[in-house]
Formats: sequence, C-alpha cells, structure tokens
Amino acid sequence: MPNWSRLQTNSFLECSARDRAVGLVDEGSFVELGGPFDRLVSPHLVALGEAVENDDGIVTGVGRIGTRPVFVISQEGRFIGGSVGEVGGAKMVGIIDMAIEFNDRLVAENPDLPAAARPLVAISFETGGVRLHEANAGLLAHAEVMDALQRARHKVPVVALIGSRIGCFGGMGFVAAATDAIVMSEFGRLGLTGPEVIEQEMGKDEFDASNRALVYRTTGGRHKYVMGDANFLVDDTVAAFRAQLADLCALPVASFEAMRRIGSPELVEKQLRGVALAAELKPTDARDIWRHAGNNDPVGLADGPLSDFRKSVRRLAL
Amino acid sequence: METLLGQGRAAIDLIVDAGSFTEGTVGARTFDDPDFGPGAVVGTAQLDGETVTVIASDAEAFNEKFPVVYSGIIGMEEGYKMAQAVYATLAADAEKEAARKRAIVLIVDTPGNGPGKVEELFGMNKATGAYQLALAEARLAGHPIVAMVVGRAISGAFLCHGLQADRILSLTSEFQTMIHVMPITSVSRIIKKDVELLEELAKANPVFAAGPAFFYKLGGVERLVESIDGMRPAIAAQIADIRKAKSDGAATALTGPRGRGALGAERGGRTVRPKVQELLRAEFAAVEDRFRPRAN
Repeated sequence: MPNWSRLQTNSFLECSARDRAVGLVDEGSFVELGGPFDRLVSPHLVALGEAVENDDGIVTGVGRIGTRPVFVISQEGRFIGGSVGEVGGAKMVGIIDMAIEFNDRLVAENPDLPAAARPLVAISFETGGVRLHEANAGLLAHAEVMDALQRARHKVPVVALIGSRIGCFGGMGFVAAATDAIVMSEFGRLGLTGPEVIEQEMGKDEFDASNRALVYRTTGGRHKYVMGDANFLVDDTVAAFRAQLADLCALPVASFEAMRRIGSPELVEKQLRGVALAAELKPTDARDIWRHAGNNDPVGLADGPLSDFRKSVRRLAL
Repeated sequence: METLLGQGRAAIDLIVDAGSFTEGTVGARTFDDPDFGPGAVVGTAQLDGETVTVIASDAEAFNEKFPVVYSGIIGMEEGYKMAQAVYATLAADAEKEAARKRAIVLIVDTPGNGPGKVEELFGMNKATGAYQLALAEARLAGHPIVAMVVGRAISGAFLCHGLQADRILSLTSEFQTMIHVMPITSVSRIIKKDVELLEELAKANPVFAAGPAFFYKLGGVERLVESIDGMRPAIAAQIADIRKAKSDGAATALTGPRGRGALGAERGGRTVRPKVQELLRAEFAAVEDRFRPRAN
C-alpha cells in the first residue's frame, strides 16, 4: 500500500490507477473489489497471446470520504492505453450498479438519510476508449456503462476526474460527458476523436497531432473549463482532486443536475446554441472561442499560472 | 446482390406502413429547417397501424456548416437533432401509461461520428452522449426501442445510434451490412497480429471480428434478418416482445444493453462478464457494513 499522506502531494498526472483510487478517499478506507488477487484477466488477450494484467487495467473498489461511501473506478493508462474490454467494462458497470443498489437499500431503511451518507461514484478516467483486441465486447460494454449512468441519475451522483496522461477519449469521452460533474486538471484532456485519428482521417491541415500545445488547447483542461465541459479546474495533485471531490460529497443528488452538460431537452437546446456559435465563428483554434467569450489575451491567459487563469478567465456563456 | 447501404430513406419506406412517414414531425415538435442536421432523418410513421418515431441517417446529405459530416456521419447537429426527436417522443406520450408509449425505430447506417477539430473544440462527445442518454431515458420510461441495421454500424456512431436500443436486428452480411469498431485489417495493423491469425481465431472468438454474425454470437444482435421483406415483421414482433418484457418487469434483464449482456453469456460469446459482476457483489457484501451509516 502506498503511503497515503505522501500520495496527497503527488502529481495526479503521474499517479497509477491504484494510487489515485487509494488517495482520493479517506486514509485507510479504500477496499479494492475485484483486485489483482482475483486475477480478473481478459480471456481475449490470453487467446491472442498478449500480456495480461490481473486487474485488466482498472482498479475498482469502495472507500469513504467523511461519512459518504465513495465507489471508485480508476483506469490505468499504462496497460494498453486504459482501453476497455469485456472485463474492465463489467467492473465499471458492476461498481455503478452496486452503488445504486446500496443507495436503494440504505434509503429503503432510512428515507431521511442525509446526502453525505449516501453513495457516490467517482470515476478516474485514463483511456482511449474501446480495446481493439476485443473491440466488439468493448463496444457493448460502453453501452452498458451509459445505461448504468442513466440508471444512477437522480439517485447516485457520478463524478468524473480527468487529469491522467492518456486523457479520456473515444467512447469513454461520451461516458465522461454523461456524468454529473467533471473535475479536470490543466493536463487532463477530454474528447471523442483523438488528435492522431483526426489527423489521419482529415489531414495535417485539419489537425497537426504533433503540435502538443494545439492538442492541449483543443481538448485540455483549460479549454474544457472555458467551454463549461469541465465544472472544476484543479491543481495537478491528488490532494487537489480529493478536495474537490470532498466538496462535492457534501451535496445532495439534486444539486448535481445543475452541473450537468447533457441529459435533458433543455441542456440539448443549450448545447445547440454552442453548435450554432461553432458554425458562425468557424474557429480554427481554441483561442478564437476564448476571445469570443470575452478573454482579450487568450495567449497570455493560456500560458500564465493556473491560479491567475482561474481568477481572471471568462467562461463561455451559452 | 441487393443492399440498402447508403439508402436510409429507402429503408424507412420499406419498413413502415406505406406512405405513413411524416418527416420532421415528432409529437408536438417540428423540425422545419432543412439545413439543420440534414443527415439526421427524424419523423413519425405507422407500423402495423401503431404510431412510431423513426430516426435514420441520410447518406446523401452533406452538412455544409460542418464539412466532416457527410455519408451518414453523425455530427454535432445530427446527434442533438436525434436527441431532440427522442425527447419529443417522451413528451408526446408523457401522459400515457408505460405499456402504451410509442416505439422508436432506429434505422442504422452510419460510418461514424464527426471527426474534426471544430467538433473537438465544441465537444462532439456531448452530442453523441446526449443522444445516448435520451434513448436510455426513453427506454427506461417504457418506450420500446428497436434498432435495425441496414448498412454500416460503426464504432461510436453505432454506440449512439443503435446500442441503447432494447433490441437490435441486422440484415445479414449478404446485404453488405457492417458492424464493427474497425475493419479486421486495421485491427491487425494496430495490435500487430496477422490478419490470417485473427481470422482463424475469430472462428472460436467473435470479439474482434467484423460483421453481424459475430455480433450475434456476442449477444450484440438479437436476431439476424435474412431478407429485406423480413425487416418489417421482425421489427413489429420485437416491439410486441419488448412490450411484454416491460410489462412483466423483466425488461432490465431481457432487453437493452444488459439484455445483450445476458444474451452474450447464453450464446457463449461473453461469458466472463457475469462472473466478474458476481464476484464484485460477493466481495462488497462481505465489507458492506463498514460503509453503512455509523450509529451514534
């Protein structure tokens, strides 16, 4: 077990999935479910003669923040890019299901149970989406996770934490979009089609994937914060992510609806105002949108310290 | 050989009651701007005399505002328009009891989601996510949802336009239907395994192979349909069957993404999934008391 206190000051970006899972909840409270000793390996990787991991590249379990049981899902990018296959997908769905079922049981026993004692789900994403070695099973698993998120609505808040190396792309990009609240660091990246894929499909003129600054300007935490796609932009430490999660743990499930980006006809209308703006503005760079949002010096704003950014940035109003 | 590839509009006419499709109207809502999400075809029709919402893609349409959207690709406008059609369906039957809510028929022929820089800047992931959530909400509210694959059902686009349905049907591969994340040749290149080896392994393990027959083995497709004439009765039969499952309260286990999970285990395609979830449940049961509210 890693030293919990030391973990708090670590870079979230550099942390393994297990360190993130342990560090996000209260010291000593994390219980891993479906851990390495269970040897939940992907049978499909075995069939292909590929290396396997005993947790299939995803850490799942339950811990506590204060009085709140927090069900944790934490993806490991170092194992096949955090890709999701049959086993990893089943672990994700299983954890969300258990949070919902546990919530239902607790509320049945005590309908007045305060929010801070009800389950919450935290997902630390680090993934490119579907695992190509078992692509069909991965695709079906993604659909099940979406279904589970909709079932959790109005019962169990689901919080996305995005600040790991791979970012959150592919099918998991829209799974993250469908959560209740999104916490990112400036190193977090969120999107659907990864930069390399856009470059490959549409050409280098559309997107130069080797331009790291451009990549971050397009899908990185600062931009997603301006767009309202990330609700909170935190420092790159485990403690900062944990503090934000702890703040959210104090809130009742109804408060999370206001943080959502999608999931109702009204939110669809709101996002469509963004789409209309995209057609009108024809941005070639995030800077164009930042300027439109009222930020006169997007370059300075992007390059300055995060604390200044948070203080002075204007977010896009739709 | 016959194919409906690229012919989403023709497929609608083959499936619903003759002349019954009213494009651009779902319940009280009308979609009258022809330039808005032109690739997304939404409307209302009758199927065996029952009112249904139809959502399809038009592969001939090109979205001039978003040049990456053509050939049936689902872009931002298309994804949100499809979501709006679902919400309009929910609103239209909001007062009806669950068993009488209208069905939604998804006609699937789409090669992907919009892969562009503007799409990433504004969040294409939200458009496809919004559509999926709307479908999941409608399904859980009692609307039977049937997806009929008539052409391409590819990756993220199939996830939003298809995989949230209660049941998925597909024309067999003789009709040039394609269901996959990526063609096996691309999978081979990326995971660095010979195509021949993958094709050999696919005979026993359908998880990385492309095509409706492999999806059938994984429970991803409820039924393969062997003729174009067979689509209409097959969809009607599924709607009736879903209604029955929903009224029995068994829909969670028998339909939708979970139903496909159960079917995948039954057909031997995905057998580990239920074991993983059983194990998690057993392990949590052993520690559950630690996470209950503490008595003061």
